[in-house]
Amino acid sequence: MSSSSPSPSCCHVQATAELADGMERELARERTLLRRKVSVAALLTALVMLSSLPHMLWGGHHSFLPPWFTSPWTQLLLTTPVLFGCGRDFFTGAISAFRQHSADMNTLVAAGTGIAWLTSLFTTLFPQVLIAEGLPADVYYESAAVILTLVLLGRLLEARARGQTSEAIRRLLQLQPPTARVLREGQPVEIPVSLVVVGDLVRVRPGEKVPTDGVVSEGSSWVEESMLTGEPTPVAKAAGDAVIGASMNRNGSFSFRVSRVGPDTVLAQIVNLVRQAQSSRTRVQRLADQVVGWFVPVVIALAISAFVVWFLISGNPVLAMLFLVSVLVIACPCALGLATPTSIMVASGKGAENGLIFRSAEALETAGKLRTIVLDKTGTLTRGQPEVTDFERLPGGALPANTLLALTAALESRSEHPLAEAITTYARSKLTSVHSQLIDRELPAVEGFESVAGRGVQGSIGGQQVRVGTPRWFEELGINTATLTPLVERLEVAARSVAVVVVDGRMEGCFGVADPLKPTSAAAVAALGRLGLQVLMLSGDARRTAEVVAAQVGIERVIAEVRPADKASVIRKLQEQGEGPVAMVGDGINDAPALAQADVGIAMGTGTDVAIAASDITLISSNLAGVPAAIELSRAAMTNIRQNLVFAFAYNVAGIPIAAGLLFPLTGWLLSPMIAGAAMAFSSVSVVSNALRLRRFQPAPLPGAASG
Amino acid sequence: MNHLLATDLISAAPLWRTIDQPMALKALVASLGVALIAWELWWFLGRHGGGVAAREGEAGLQEITITVDGGYAPSRIKVMAGRPLRLSFHRIDPSGCVAQVIFPDFHKTLDLPLDATTSLEIPPTAAGFYPFHCGMNMVRGVLEVVDQNATSASRS
Repeated sequence: MSSSSPSPSCCHVQATAELADGMERELARERTLLRRKVSVAALLTALVMLSSLPHMLWGGHHSFLPPWFTSPWTQLLLTTPVLFGCGRDFFTGAISAFRQHSADMNTLVAAGTGIAWLTSLFTTLFPQVLIAEGLPADVYYESAAVILTLVLLGRLLEARARGQTSEAIRRLLQLQPPTARVLREGQPVEIPVSLVVVGDLVRVRPGEKVPTDGVVSEGSSWVEESMLTGEPTPVAKAAGDAVIGASMNRNGSFSFRVSRVGPDTVLAQIVNLVRQAQSSRTRVQRLADQVVGWFVPVVIALAISAFVVWFLISGNPVLAMLFLVSVLVIACPCALGLATPTSIMVASGKGAENGLIFRSAEALETAGKLRTIVLDKTGTLTRGQPEVTDFERLPGGALPANTLLALTAALESRSEHPLAEAITTYARSKLTSVHSQLIDRELPAVEGFESVAGRGVQGSIGGQQVRVGTPRWFEELGINTATLTPLVERLEVAARSVAVVVVDGRMEGCFGVADPLKPTSAAAVAALGRLGLQVLMLSGDARRTAEVVAAQVGIERVIAEVRPADKASVIRKLQEQGEGPVAMVGDGINDAPALAQADVGIAMGTGTDVAIAASDITLISSNLAGVPAAIELSRAAMTNIRQNLVFAFAYNVAGIPIAAGLLFPLTGWLLSPMIAGAAMAFSSVSVVSNALRLRRFQPAPLPGAASG
Repeated sequence: MNHLLATDLISAAPLWRTIDQPMALKALVASLGVALIAWELWWFLGRHGGGVAAREGEAGLQEITITVDGGYAPSRIKVMAGRPLRLSFHRIDPSGCVAQVIFPDFHKTLDLPLDATTSLEIPPTAAGFYPFHCGMNMVRGVLEVVDQNATSASRS
């Protein structure tokens, strides 16, 4: 059996989890190491500051501290391990980046602190040079030490915050239970989930998690799928129903046949899609990326310019050096680089928690800007499981009812249209109840079957030409439908789709098919309207039927009688009319071209199929409430990104001139290099913290739900 | 000595004072500064080499190993269009920033364990520039995919 040789790819989720664990451990190690470095650096820096205190306060006179402690040599001794011990990574990083012709954060920190240290070293060794110039022989060790300690502290805080951005994925990975109870040779055996293969029979007891995807074969229960689909209420499961791995079984117990394992499971696909989205970038970010590329070299150029200009103005090399160091340490390319990706990370993780899978950062970006949203009727607003409610014989019909039903069932059973399915089911059930001998008998053979898209189907059965389709089709074929009109009108006003059966050009019968609305559709449409979106309904149904359904959910604009192939061109027309960006919501199968054409294609899931290729956003549940939630989340994420970028740009644009002493002649503001270091260290911390605010996002409750 | 406010500086110490420097020294500092800026911009922003070409592997697969140490070495990689590619990242830099490498155009994130080699397969791609960067977007590289026909045409 294949159980003895599990396919190598079966351990995907586990492997991903292990890898994530590994990264987690590494992050934790990095944090521990950083924490140790920060404590050592802080202690030494405190001593350096104490040592330099007398100079700062009293110009070095009347000190209660012993002279050896306040000597520049002691400060040198204390500062050097801070810079080249605790801050070693900045220097090695800067050097290896330099060799690669690249410059980053490390370059700025290493250059800034390194220059302050070197200048001080020069003063310590040759104080007479400065005194000869009429300048105090002061050292700036404490500046170098304080800057480095603050930057390290900033890194520590940032590493902590960054660990939280991927929390959602980690939580998803932890959902899968480690073992499954599999029936092997009639005996239940508990084995690791990675060894379960397709076709296994798995037993799930009350309160246990479903280990992988499958179809219930025996027993029944309520299963909570909220962690995957965002659907709050438990779902009833009985034989034949699909269950999703990692969902929580409530009270009953059941057995299910495994249908998917490893990388094919819904959970693995969700994790994979979220990771993919997190590694894509938005259009805004492309701009930020370009800026980051030349940012550091330009900052270095500005710092050198500040030195030269101040030297020319004042002739004072020490003052010029202080401006140089301030400019180097205040610039923060990190905040720019982090602004978008952290928000995207948090938002896409948050989406997954609510059963909203964004396939790319761009989908998140565009969904926030939508102006028009087109909802497909069948399967999106309605349940997508139509049922025949009316069957009428038509005047002029010649065939007995059973013959007509048999012909219809024979023809319709060849079609895959949901309406055809409903009619086939109805006809079969009528035939069995009337003629019990028909149960297992084959339906009459169909020759020359042909499906006319958006119109109906035709074929020849026992020499008779049979057509089942819309009244409009028969009008087009030149059949007199005058007698049909009042009946069709009555059915359509009751929101029924109408299918007419025509045999040898004779109208024989007429079916009315109803597709009930999903309970949340009207509330979701209202929520979309409240978000300021223009809502349209798209349907292949007759205009009157479509309008009745639209009125029930509160949609005013209806595009009816659209053939499946024309849905994409309807979207294109809306885009050309300047109603864009346009979103299309559909089931992802029949609507694939329209989903692809739309600026944002939203596929309504069935809970089991996650990776719908044409869509930009996939809702795991079939609840329409996910659509307004997705749009709200996108808007929240884009606002967050904008805040981050504005903050990061404004911070650098304002900080660098101040550090360069541009305001000094006007206001007398001189930014101490230490303050510059502190500002830089906390700029990226604040960007990450702002992104983490998105974790508190909650979609607004649907309007109907609040008012009862 | 170091103060927050200029008023302190002026009153307490002769740090904020003007020193008359000889004209020659001023000119020297200015020209050195300009030269340093020019050199630094050339070093960091200028083009240095046309990138390293991937080597030919079995069955048309192109392969290249990239060392991750403060940066990507090589960081500019030249590959042929329309052929599969395997990138192997060898990470020896302990900094957490480079623990991930992201290819935004392929929607791919690769976690790089320390002191190990991790591979990424990229399907045949159209010609163009495909940047990649570390998790924090500070360490960067670019995949330069060139059209085989165009290259051979320019060669001949």
